[in-house]
Amino acid sequence: MTDKAIALDNVDLSLGRGAARVHILKSISLSVGRGEAVGLVGPSGSGKSTLLMTMAGLERPDSGRVLVDGTDLSGLDEDALARFRGRRIGIVFQSFHLVPTMTALENVALPLELAGEADAHPRARAELEAVGLGGRLSHYPAQLSGGEQQRVAIARAIAPDPAILVADEPTGNLDEGTGGSIVDLLFALKRDRGATLVLVTHDPSLARRCDRTIRLRSGRVEADAPAQA
Amino acid sequence: MHGTLPGEPARRPARGGPSLVLRLALRELRAGLRGFGIFLTCIALGVMAIAGVASISRSLTEGLAREGRKILGGDAAFSLIHREASPRERAVLGARGNVSAIATMRGMAIAGEKGSGLVEIKAVDASYPTVGDLVTEPDLPREELFVERDGAFGAAVDPVLLARLDLKIGDRVTVGGAAFELRAAIRSEPDKIAAGIGFGPRLLMSLEGLRATGLVQPGSLVRWTYRLDLPSNAASDADLARVEAAIARDAPEAGWEVRSRVNADPRFARNIERFAQFLTLVGLTALLVGGVGVANAVRGFMDGKRDTIATLKSLGAPGSQVVAIYLVQVMLIAGLGIAIGLALGAALPFVLVAALGGALPVPIVATLAPGELGLAAVYGALTALAFALAPLGRAHDVPVSGLFRDRVDPERRWPRKRYVAALAVAVTALVLISVLTAFDRRVALTFIGAAAGAFVLLRGVALGLMALARRLPRPRRAAPRLALANIHRPGALTPSLVLSLGLGITLLVALSLIDANMRRQLTQTLPEKAPSFFFLDIPSSQASAFDAHLAAQAPGAAIQRVPMMRGRLVAIKGVPVGQIKAADDIAWVLDGDRGITYAQRLPEGSKIVAGDWWAPEHRGGNLVSFDERIGRGLGLSLGDEITVNVLGRNITARIANFRRVEWRNIGINFVMVFSPNTFAGAPHTHLATATLPDGADAAREAAILRETAKVFPSVTSVRVKDALEAVNGVVSQLVLAIRGASTIALAASVLVLAGALAAGHRARLYDAVVLKTLGATRGRLLTAYALEYGALGLATAAFGLVAGSLAGWLIVSTLMQMDFTLALSGAFLAAALAVVVTISLGLLGTWRILSQKPAPYLRNL
Repeated sequence: MTDKAIALDNVDLSLGRGAARVHILKSISLSVGRGEAVGLVGPSGSGKSTLLMTMAGLERPDSGRVLVDGTDLSGLDEDALARFRGRRIGIVFQSFHLVPTMTALENVALPLELAGEADAHPRARAELEAVGLGGRLSHYPAQLSGGEQQRVAIARAIAPDPAILVADEPTGNLDEGTGGSIVDLLFALKRDRGATLVLVTHDPSLARRCDRTIRLRSGRVEADAPAQA
Repeated sequence: MHGTLPGEPARRPARGGPSLVLRLALRELRAGLRGFGIFLTCIALGVMAIAGVASISRSLTEGLAREGRKILGGDAAFSLIHREASPRERAVLGARGNVSAIATMRGMAIAGEKGSGLVEIKAVDASYPTVGDLVTEPDLPREELFVERDGAFGAAVDPVLLARLDLKIGDRVTVGGAAFELRAAIRSEPDKIAAGIGFGPRLLMSLEGLRATGLVQPGSLVRWTYRLDLPSNAASDADLARVEAAIARDAPEAGWEVRSRVNADPRFARNIERFAQFLTLVGLTALLVGGVGVANAVRGFMDGKRDTIATLKSLGAPGSQVVAIYLVQVMLIAGLGIAIGLALGAALPFVLVAALGGALPVPIVATLAPGELGLAAVYGALTALAFALAPLGRAHDVPVSGLFRDRVDPERRWPRKRYVAALAVAVTALVLISVLTAFDRRVALTFIGAAAGAFVLLRGVALGLMALARRLPRPRRAAPRLALANIHRPGALTPSLVLSLGLGITLLVALSLIDANMRRQLTQTLPEKAPSFFFLDIPSSQASAFDAHLAAQAPGAAIQRVPMMRGRLVAIKGVPVGQIKAADDIAWVLDGDRGITYAQRLPEGSKIVAGDWWAPEHRGGNLVSFDERIGRGLGLSLGDEITVNVLGRNITARIANFRRVEWRNIGINFVMVFSPNTFAGAPHTHLATATLPDGADAAREAAILRETAKVFPSVTSVRVKDALEAVNGVVSQLVLAIRGASTIALAASVLVLAGALAAGHRARLYDAVVLKTLGATRGRLLTAYALEYGALGLATAAFGLVAGSLAGWLIVSTLMQMDFTLALSGAFLAAALAVVVTISLGLLGTWRILSQKPAPYLRNL
């Protein structure tokens, strides 16, 4: 097994069609070590989210290779990619994206159920307790505060025990206090589970908590350095 | 590439795959049925139409089967035309059970100065009715009802005759040479339906009374029916079949038409089935129109679920699993709609019986028809599937990346091949089921072709309109510019509006044209050469006197008179007709007795298309001239032999020629015209027509009727206009049933339209709010929307007028085989109405949007 959780080799990616086609990622090569926490920073439109999606197998590069947890993503079809994500990658969104018709418990159990785990519900319950929401199991997303919803989303992302956690501006929709506690939770869970964390953020304090910061500009890596405490 | 992920021990079996899909689908459904109102109603309406038609038809068939003995007046009925059964034939019947006899014929009831009227005479013996009850008012014992008293026989009469001739109970009428005292009004006649459509009211008398009229002459058109009642210990269906076979063996030459209680009225049963099939197609139209609503609802639903779909995929659900989750939801909702439709449809006959009960003119036993209901459910499920698959299939490729960045309106692409294939399977299954279960596959195929054509054409019209709007120069004024942009912009209302409105207008126009043509054909514009009167049962001995009478009464009238008898085709090319399977549109020729004639010369209005007419003095073998279309349909060629039974004799004749007959003249014409030698010496009567010169008014026609009844009391006069009115009454009821079923299709179309407009309103809320913020007044916005809806409505109405006229023409001229007239006033009205409804519905919803204050919306935009 390689010691790299994620490796991108000369990745190019364009989006849109015809005249509207935009070259977003340009010859990106980088790697993320196992257990490492990496912050992707840069101005709007620099390609941070697209790079994150490429790492999570949500966008396919036009050229270049993406290896995640030792698997070449270009070799997987849509369904295999979905299953791969379900087991190896946990995703935390800025807008939480909980399924509104499911309770907190059901939301967290969802990836486990999709992976065919028999003990999905007990595990989901344990995860929710771990993020401090043991008393909110049967609440629907609309009955939870923003911070609580993001905790449920983090529990859901971490429930299948993924090797890699990706987060897209996880505190972007939260107030400062709540955001801080969410970041604490995210890093604590990463540490406890030994997972790799890649997150996109505009928040310098959050970026500083990472082991390393990659700065993007116009689709290229402008800087890649250990985060400054 | 598929398969196991590297480094993964082994993929776990898809534990509880289907159950997980169901579980997740049920969880998702917790959100309720919001947005599915139109979906549910469309499916429920369509299924209700089909299930209702099937249930009523089945209840009627069941009624016929259960009431078979009552309708028939016995276990079996043996009918002869022109003649009574011979003593030997009576003995053959009598050996098997109790026999009762009735005689039916048309006649004239003459009420002195009050005039005369055509009546359907039924003469019965003392045992009538052997099954069921005759209810009269007053309720007199049978003996008292009919017995001769003070020089007059008694009779019971349909109250219609009393009203028509301004008579009351106790008055007298003359029929032929006998007087009848009208002693009671008929309230209920158990075997009425067996007589079919009557052209006049019933006059019920005794056989003695009928004989006293002198109307029963050799060759007169009397139908003698002998009802056989089997002994109760030998009355099983098997016994009945044995008895029928024995009677056929013992009286092979009788030539009677046999009906048994298990098949009391095959023609009526077949008509029910045929009409039910037709109405099922109308119901299917409702379902197909509703299908557009299903597609719109599912598309709207899936658009609203894009984030959830993307989330599911981000959590490891493969695209096909996501599609399955939503497919299950959609089909569960469809199942609910189907259940509602089935319940309402199945309840229809019960409601009908409960509400109308004995007032219904046909026997109906409210019945649950599981097979037919199952079929209606399958239609509903397949329609829902066919229309939902495309929007569902697109969910497979909803990108998870949509969760990370603002969504750009997705391009509408075809779903993956597997979903297109599933769609093809659903559509094929729909087509196969409709065709295979159809009574007339040609009609079903025409319907399917027309429906498919309408869908494709309407799609084309929508795309054409959008392309046109895109290419038109931009108007300088804001309102028309906005209207034009709304027609062609991405996500425009145009395709769904054009489809639902177009289908509705096409249907409306086609129906109004069919309706107008049927009515015109039957009542208003008779063919120019149509006769004014038919005269039946003119005794041969009085034929010349009758000609002279008519010539004096109606100077200038064209008079045609031919010998007439009735006979049944019993064999074609030596094959008994019972073994011949004829096409549906000519099967009637083999069914029961037909009028036949003989002639020295080719009848007027006919043309020889093959073979030669016989010499006027032909003496050789029996020859027959056959109607060309029917002859070809029966596979006949020149020289083939046919056998008819006339007056209890089987007569075989060789086909000498084929004629083309101008049926639409309604003049005298016959499928079979024999050479005169065939019936030399056979007793018969004559049939005459009189065509009055132009401008004959009702008073003049009434005078001719009165005089003819006075001088020739035994001759039955039928005023063609009266007969057509009687037929028109029946047609009106059929049209009512068609309208009923079509109303459901139209309701579905309006629903779909309203749904499409409502979806459009949500989409244009943004425009309205932004434009208002920039200073657009409500009036200006409303003008823009009115222009848009008006343009779309008018363009679609133009298409609907053309397509509906085409459909109407196709149905009227091909399926109904009638002349088609483009009666556009009704069609225009229908189209105009549809446009007004569209604009009103559209503006109604828009006005609500425009009345909202922008601020709350802007916060959420």
